[in-house]
Amino acid sequence: MLSWEFPPRIIGGISPHVYYLSKSLAKNGMKVYVVTCDFPGAPQHEVVDGMEVFRMDSYKNPSPDFATWVYLMNVNMQKETAALVNDLGNKVDVFHAHDWLVATAGIGLKHTFRKPLLATMHSTEIGRRNGIHFDYEKMIHETEAWLTYEAWRVICCSDYMVSHVRWAFGLPGDKLSMVPNGVNTEVYEKAENENLGQFRSKFAMPEEKIVLFVGRLVYEKGAHVFVNAVPKVLGKANAKFIIVGNGYMKEQLSSLVRGMGLAHKVLFTGFVDDDTLRKLQKCADVCVVPSLFEPFGIVALEAMAAKSPVVVSDTGGLSEIVEHDVTGVKVYVNNPDSLAWGITKVLLDDAYANLIRKNAYKKVQEKYNWSKIAQQTKGIYEAVLGEYSKSFWA
Amino acid sequence: MNAIIFSWEYPPRIVGQLANHVRELAAQLVRNSVGIYVVTYHDYLTEQYNETDGVKTYRVVNPVRTHIGVLTWVLTLNQEVERAAANIYYSVNKHVDVIDVYDWHFIPAAVTLKKALNIPFIYSVESLEEHRSHGANSPFNMAIKSIEWLGMYEAARLIVKSEWMRDETYRVYKVPMEKMQVIPSKSANWTKRILETYKDVTEGANPK
Repeated sequence: MLSWEFPPRIIGGISPHVYYLSKSLAKNGMKVYVVTCDFPGAPQHEVVDGMEVFRMDSYKNPSPDFATWVYLMNVNMQKETAALVNDLGNKVDVFHAHDWLVATAGIGLKHTFRKPLLATMHSTEIGRRNGIHFDYEKMIHETEAWLTYEAWRVICCSDYMVSHVRWAFGLPGDKLSMVPNGVNTEVYEKAENENLGQFRSKFAMPEEKIVLFVGRLVYEKGAHVFVNAVPKVLGKANAKFIIVGNGYMKEQLSSLVRGMGLAHKVLFTGFVDDDTLRKLQKCADVCVVPSLFEPFGIVALEAMAAKSPVVVSDTGGLSEIVEHDVTGVKVYVNNPDSLAWGITKVLLDDAYANLIRKNAYKKVQEKYNWSKIAQQTKGIYEAVLGEYSKSFWA
Repeated sequence: MNAIIFSWEYPPRIVGQLANHVRELAAQLVRNSVGIYVVTYHDYLTEQYNETDGVKTYRVVNPVRTHIGVLTWVLTLNQEVERAAANIYYSVNKHVDVIDVYDWHFIPAAVTLKKALNIPFIYSVESLEEHRSHGANSPFNMAIKSIEWLGMYEAARLIVKSEWMRDETYRVYKVPMEKMQVIPSKSANWTKRILETYKDVTEGANPK
């Protein structure tokens, strides 16, 4: 398993994804070796929850730019993984690379050991940037294309991403597999029995409902749509709007709130630790995900696992996670009126809120649990190995 | 004995004096009954594979066409060099005895092949980033220096072309003197001496 981030190094969603996937694969009887970048204070080699983790020197000289650093880091990753596989007597069946950030390492290992390579595409450059505009972006796009070309099978986390990746790199349909991202419901169950009354009182008055937004404060996450919906909701229901996360739009958003005269109703918490976040998700009367672009939408799943009703914009992975009126409310993308309608509906109708809350939790347990995801992934490994065994490399 | 030579220039693609030097060496080694495979960069001047004077030449293309600098170009091209070398390795029943790498460009590929397949490599030093960049230490130069350092650390032996270069390599990278072989180009028996170095590395070195 090759990944540029692994706990305690957490930059985005790949780190927890690789952690839970590897852990669940290990529980399913697989021997999993994770090779990843080093992190201050984390050991170079350790056994975590049944998997072996190797942290290698991630090239720490100053680099001309991020992409060049990525390729330099891959030199070390490839070297260390090659030595590891050699030490194991070449007894490795598949290499699994996560995103272009480990593309060259994965491709090199495939050819030197002649073992199949799988790639999970968590996102794409063309999606992140809404198009390819500069040589820098084009280079990354071409590296992604190369990785998907070299991979025996490409895994995406939603049907939306499958069709997006298929379009972006012109891949044949049978090369792509959809395995959803997962969420760990156990961590929310732990908080089940705690009394959150005092915790809640730090954020909202007893008579106020809590409307929660969690996400980076960047354009594609749609926090500005959320803020614009605030006065429309307040006309019908009394609530406190809590915005968790940081980003370049923070100043702009808080001045928008001040301009509306609603600073006492909207709270910016900034980045919060996992424990606080989980408690907030449990306290929330509704969690809102108003994204404009969303490959998957893990925050919606987390809210569902925390048994909070969700209101999401009808786009990307969110469209698949939420079934309207069954497991949540879907609203129009980039439309504050529609968003306010969805939030108000949940806040004013307790019976409705409880219904979608219950259905959503059930869906999360059935479809998005890690042991099921690991079984699906293991099934893909086995299918690939079956094809491999008939190839001239075997 | 089978040897693979990595060089980023090889006729008809001539950038400096390295291309002809490598060609002459390769042809001489073939006459000394060494199986020689040259892996080099292909920029549409020739076919991707040919055999001249018994030298089997593989030319690879970079799958990533757009680049923002020499480093990203070299580092991605390395994967194709590595792939070509791995294909040679498997096609000759894993009997590759040594890889001879000219300058820093394809050091990363040689290092992975050493770690993965236990093939020792020789680093033939043509020039050093220290001299090419006149001591500049920007992140760009440092990255090249770090690749040169990696090559010197992982190589079984270094071949340099003059005593001055040997002393400079020692001064800049502190490579032990006994790891370096001075073989001036076109000096008496220079190809024989290079072949002897190949044999030393193959027989003497612990490849792992």
